[in-house]
Amino acid sequence: MQTSATGPAVHHPPRGERLDLTWLKPIGMIGLSVSNFIYRILTLGIYDFWARTEVRKRLWSAIRLNGEPLAYTGTGKELFLGFLIVFGVVLLPILIVSVAAILIFGPNSLTANLIQAAIYIAVFMLVGVAIYRAQRYRLLRTNWRGIRGNLQGSSTPYAMTYFLTLFLIPLTLGWIVPWRATKLQSMITNNVRFGSMPFAFRGNSGLLYGPYAVLWFGILVLFIVASAISGMVIGSIQGDLGPGLEPPDDVKQLYGLTILGVFALAYLFYLFMSAWYRARTINHFAQCTHFDSASFNGTATGIGLLWIDITNLAILIAGSLVVVALLSAIAALIFMIVPALVPATAMSPAEIQAYAAAMAAPVLVFIGALSFTLLLPVTQARSMGYLIDHLALEGSVDVNKIAQSTADPMATGEGLAQAFDIDAF
Amino acid sequence: MHSDLFHQRFEARYTDGRTAGSRDVMVELTERGILIPQDGSAAPLIWPFGALATAEPLTDHAIDALVTYSYQPGATLFVPGPRFARALATLAPQLTASAERWRAASPWLWGAAATVAIGVFVWLAGLSPAHTIANMLPDKARTAMGRQVVKSMTDGRAVCRDDAGLKALEKLTGRLVAATHDGKAFNVVVIDWGLVNAFATPGENVVLTSGLLDAANGPDEVAGVLAHEMGHGLELHPETGLVRAMGLAAATELLMGGSGTLSNLGIVLLQLSYSRDAEGEADDHAIAILRDARISSKGFARFFERMSKTDGSAKRLGKGGLGGMLSSHPDTDERLAKVLRSGGYAATPALSEREWAALKSICRTSLPSAKAGHSE
Ligand SMILES: [Zn+2]
Repeated sequence: MQTSATGPAVHHPPRGERLDLTWLKPIGMIGLSVSNFIYRILTLGIYDFWARTEVRKRLWSAIRLNGEPLAYTGTGKELFLGFLIVFGVVLLPILIVSVAAILIFGPNSLTANLIQAAIYIAVFMLVGVAIYRAQRYRLLRTNWRGIRGNLQGSSTPYAMTYFLTLFLIPLTLGWIVPWRATKLQSMITNNVRFGSMPFAFRGNSGLLYGPYAVLWFGILVLFIVASAISGMVIGSIQGDLGPGLEPPDDVKQLYGLTILGVFALAYLFYLFMSAWYRARTINHFAQCTHFDSASFNGTATGIGLLWIDITNLAILIAGSLVVVALLSAIAALIFMIVPALVPATAMSPAEIQAYAAAMAAPVLVFIGALSFTLLLPVTQARSMGYLIDHLALEGSVDVNKIAQSTADPMATGEGLAQAFDIDAF
Repeated sequence: MHSDLFHQRFEARYTDGRTAGSRDVMVELTERGILIPQDGSAAPLIWPFGALATAEPLTDHAIDALVTYSYQPGATLFVPGPRFARALATLAPQLTASAERWRAASPWLWGAAATVAIGVFVWLAGLSPAHTIANMLPDKARTAMGRQVVKSMTDGRAVCRDDAGLKALEKLTGRLVAATHDGKAFNVVVIDWGLVNAFATPGENVVLTSGLLDAANGPDEVAGVLAHEMGHGLELHPETGLVRAMGLAAATELLMGGSGTLSNLGIVLLQLSYSRDAEGEADDHAIAILRDARISSKGFARFFERMSKTDGSAKRLGKGGLGGMLSSHPDTDERLAKVLRSGGYAATPALSEREWAALKSICRTSLPSAKAGHSE
């Protein structure tokens, strides 16, 4: 700000400052989870848009640059309106067309199936649009020191690239994954702005091909080894017995369990290898991401990501079990109380219980289905915390050079964006 | 009020929203709002409590606060330490998490309560939205629905079409249809299926199984079953059931984002069982049709009684259709008595001995469906 007095001709030494990226673990996420869960049930699910917004506000605030928080400025109302728009413009027409196709041409008729296939393709083409627009919406709603983020450009090239990638992955047995993932990432990163300052993606997919080859051949070897061990187990039973004889049931069970164990172990190995590749990708993309005179440095590890995933799953299951236990208690209470409340002459106790069960069942199913999401905010905070803890911004940024974004914050990011806002946070 | 909170001073960082640069300031809480001193001789800013927003709703756990002011977009004030956040929660209670949640949720809470109340009202008043929609369906749509359902029910099974049997079936159907006084032409199809069952399907169609013909002792029994199923058809019960099932399937499809639950309407109808009231209505129609057609209702009652009491055949009935009617409803005896009471008029057998014999062997000639030829 003081530079204006000295005039434009004077060259300054790099005047940037180091920005320290840290995660300040949010407190009270369990309380927030419970409160959101209760409001969601009492509003028949509609509160979800506001619940997600409050979670984002907490998560964004936990990300600190030089101790100062990022701010999420989106609202539940925006998410809700976006959902309504997409519901009317995308989901409802799709539903009407598929139902009409079935009614007119008959279930499983060729025409109805062709129409279904066309709908699937259209939806796949929309996925890229959705990802891009959701990113834009969230960047526009992300502030630091009052300066907004933005994602420029049109979503069409990204959507076409995304669709082509989905189409080509099976044809190339997956070998285009590192190349296409890098391309898609660079398409987004190169369009990201923080205020007036652009992000830049510098790098290519070359460094990812080594890890990808390890993953690809690792999966192949795992599959072959697991199959070979299973084959050996079965072979050894038959070898002891001689051909054409059935082994006793307890032996069969034991070997069945062994084979199950081998494949479970193989799956665990697979999870670890894919987490390891994911960590490599995150770190590589971080390294390629430049901002002013700084770039990111990622230190995520496969074991770290796998640990977060597994413990998050355990947390979600625990939350669900708590809800289900509570529900069972409530259901038992209904069964005990209801027959006592209704005069005995009106209906038989068995009928009353059947009625009560019929009335309570949809409610219990609704809550039970939601139960898995009870502690979702806690797990989201853990995932995001892990990422931020393993990302650093190295180099310097001249914050005084960053001016407010000139993009209209309300012009974009509404409508389609929010309803397709489908990923983790 | 809150006088103890005023004139406290806090270290803070202020940004004007034009660049990402920030500067340290000492802010003060006053009766008029937050007072933010400006550089040099510029007058200090005052941000009134009523127009403030915080980056995250204020909670008891807050260790700092990021404040914005709606009339100065882009400008932010970051105040570290829990003391300021506590004071702000008292002076601007609308910024607390509980207040924000209640503000967002309360309209929807009322909406949800109203929805539940309307649902309970509709249920208590015996209104059926699905029935209303079924009533509004044009005949063409009902016919199309019926064609699809019959098609998916006969999928993989042979349709019986022995000439003499078809003639006998036509005669019986015609006699019953004439007695409905409704002018609606019913179309009855017999399929080669061991299950003892009969289904009313949309658009005035009835599907009978050969198992039912085998299990019947005489044409009057089949006439009673047919009249009962026609009663369902006249009341649009199959249409109503399908509309309800499709509504549910559409809802699930929307919620789950999946597709394909709607693809087999016939299976839906096979699983569908009607309410007690619906069965009563169908019985009333059956009684009236049989009386006007001068067919004894004793056959219907006999079949009804036999099927509901024989454990072995009850199992063969399956879940939906007639099976639903005969399943463990507590008022079976009552309904049986009603049918028996309706007798006492002059009646002739529903079909002659020869015609009945022809109907029983209607599956001697059948038209195998395209799929059956391959899979069975
Ligand atoms: Zn019935």
